[in-house]
Amino acid sequence: MTGVKETRHKMKVKKVFSDYVIIVSMVIIMTVVFVATLYPFLNSLAISFNNADDTILGGITIFPRIPTIANYRQIFTNPTIWMAYGITFARTIIGAAAGLVITGALAFGLSRKNLEGRKFYTFFCLIPMYFGGGLVPTYFLIMNLGLYDTFWVYIIPNLVNIWNMILMRSYFQSVPDALEESARIDGANYLTIFFKIYWPVSTPIIATIALYFGVFHWNDWFMPNIYISNPNLKPMTSVLLNIIAEASFAERMAAAGAGAFVGEASHGKETNARSITMATMITSILPIVIIYPFLQRFFLKGIMIGSIKG
Amino acid sequence: MGVMIKVTNPNAASTTRKQPNFFQRAIEQWDLQLLVIPGILLLFVFSYIPIYGLVMAFQEYRIGDFPGQSEWVGFKQFIALFQDQNLPLVLRNTLAISGLKLTIGFVCPIIFAVFLNEMSNQTLKKGIQTISYLPHFISWTVCAMLLFDFLSTDGGAVNEMLMGAGLISQPIGFFSRSDLFWGLALVSDIWKELGWNSIIFISAMAGVDAEMYEAADIDGATRAQKMWHITIKAIKPTIVLLFIMNVGGILNQNFDQIMMLTKQMGNPLLKETANVIDTYIFQVGISMGRASFGTAAGLVKSLINFVLLIAANTIADKAGENALF
Repeated sequence: MTGVKETRHKMKVKKVFSDYVIIVSMVIIMTVVFVATLYPFLNSLAISFNNADDTILGGITIFPRIPTIANYRQIFTNPTIWMAYGITFARTIIGAAAGLVITGALAFGLSRKNLEGRKFYTFFCLIPMYFGGGLVPTYFLIMNLGLYDTFWVYIIPNLVNIWNMILMRSYFQSVPDALEESARIDGANYLTIFFKIYWPVSTPIIATIALYFGVFHWNDWFMPNIYISNPNLKPMTSVLLNIIAEASFAERMAAAGAGAFVGEASHGKETNARSITMATMITSILPIVIIYPFLQRFFLKGIMIGSIKG
Repeated sequence: MGVMIKVTNPNAASTTRKQPNFFQRAIEQWDLQLLVIPGILLLFVFSYIPIYGLVMAFQEYRIGDFPGQSEWVGFKQFIALFQDQNLPLVLRNTLAISGLKLTIGFVCPIIFAVFLNEMSNQTLKKGIQTISYLPHFISWTVCAMLLFDFLSTDGGAVNEMLMGAGLISQPIGFFSRSDLFWGLALVSDIWKELGWNSIIFISAMAGVDAEMYEAADIDGATRAQKMWHITIKAIKPTIVLLFIMNVGGILNQNFDQIMMLTKQMGNPLLKETANVIDTYIFQVGISMGRASFGTAAGLVKSLINFVLLIAANTIADKAGENALF
C-alpha cells in the first residue's frame, strides 16, 4: 500500500479539477464520520463526569464544566447495578469461553479431511444458516427444556454459532497438515492435537471469535427480556432497557444512590436522571470500548478469511 | 440420526463386509468424533427441533398443549395471516426500511471505503478506521439511548444545532413523528455499521496489485479514473456477493434496532411506520400468545427469504458474477 503512495508522490502527476473534487470530498466524508461517531460518546462521557445540577444549564460539549465523580458514586452504591454488571461479566466470560471451545472443536473436526461423516456433518451445519424454525418454536423449545429463568439460558443455546464455526474452520484448514501428521506419529490423539497444538497457533482467529462471542453476550438484551424474569439474573442491558422504557427508572436509581450520600447532588431530579443515564451507559460500554482496538488487527484478518468464498 | 448418516453417506452404506463399516470407522477415530459431536448435538437441539416446531403452523396451539401435539387445522393460520389487515402495513414497513438499507445503506460503506483508500496519511487513516468501528461494538440499547438524548426536543444536540443554524424554528420531535421513522432507522443503521461494513471492502482493496496504480499513473490516469477503473473494479465481486446476501435477508429487519427505537413497540406514535414483520411476529406470537399464527407468519417469512436468496444468486450467476453457491 505504501508503495503506491510513494510512487504517486514521486511521479508528481499534475492535478486536474476532478482530483481536487475528490480530495475535498474525502476531507468532508472523513470529518463527518469522525465527528458523528466520536462526538456522542465524548459528550456522554463529559455529562457523566459533570455536576448534575450544572448539566441542566446545557452547553456541555466534550469536557465536563464542573468535574465530579458523584454520578458514578451514585450508580455504584446501587446494588442493582452491581448485580447486573456481575451477570453481564459472568455470561460474557463463560459464554465466550464455552462457545469458543464447542464451536472451535466442531470447526476443527470439520476441517479434518479424514473425519468420518464429514460431508453429512457439513451439510447438517449449513442448513440452519438458510432456514430456521423462527422465533415462536424456539421460544417453546427453551420453555420446555426448563431453561426459562436460569442463568444457563444465556450460555447453552449460544454455544454453537455457524458463522463463527466457518471462520474457524477456514483458519484451521490453512494451518499446514504437517503439524497434525507429526503429532499423530508421536501418538497424540485428536483432543490433544486440537487443544495443545492447533489452539496455541491459532491466536488470530481465537481472538476474533472470542471478540464476536463476547460482544454478542455483552450486548444481548433479547434473551433476558423474554427468558428471564428473576431481577437478580438481569444483565446491564436490562438496566439500560429499563432506563429507556421507564422515565422514572433513572430517577429512582438517582434517589437510591443519593440516599447513601445525603446532600450530595440529590437535587434537580430531571438532571440527575440524565447524568445517571449517561454514567450507566458509559459503565456498560467501557470494557468493550477498551478491548476492541487491541483486537483490531485480529478481527480485520478474521473478516478477510470470511470474505474468501467458502 | 444414525439412519440419516447412512443415507447421506453412500460410501458408508455400500461398504463390503471385509471393510469396517461407518460406525466401526467412526469409533476407531472416537477422539475426532468427540470434538464434533457436542456441537452437532447442540445444533440438532437448538436449530433442528425448532424446524420440527414449524408443524405448529398447521395446528391450533392452546395453552398447555405440548408444542406439536395440538389439533391439526391445515392452512387455517395461513389464511388468517393473509386476511390479517395488519399484514399489508407490516410488509410495507419492512420492505421500505429494507429497501432504504439495501440501497443507500449499502452504498455508504463502499463510498467510505473507497475514499479511505485514497488517504495518504496512514496514521490518520488507521485512526479514523478504528473510530469508525466503535458503534458496531455497542448494543442497540445504548444506541437508542444516545439517539434519544441527541434528538430530544428538550435541548437535544441535533435540534439545538438546527435551530442555531436557523433551519427550523421549533424543535423536531423525531420520536413522535411516524413519517420520520424510516429515515431514522436508516441513518441510525448507517451510523452504527458504516465502519464495520466497510472492512470487507477495505480488505478487498488491500489485495489490489500496486503496479496497477503505477501503470495507470504512467498512462496519465486521473485520480477519479483510478478510483473507478481500479479500486471499484477490484471490489466488484465482493459488492455483488454482499448484495446477494443482503437480498436474502430483506425480510429480516433489524429486530433489536426497531424494538429499541420504538421503546419495544411501546411508542404508539411510531407504530404505523415502525411495525415490521419480526416485531409483528414477536407481538402476536409471544406477547399475545397466538403461537400457531406467529409460527405460520415466521414460516412464510423464512420461505420468502429463501426464495429471494436463490433468485438473487441465480441472477448473479447468470450475469457472470461471483455467486454465493
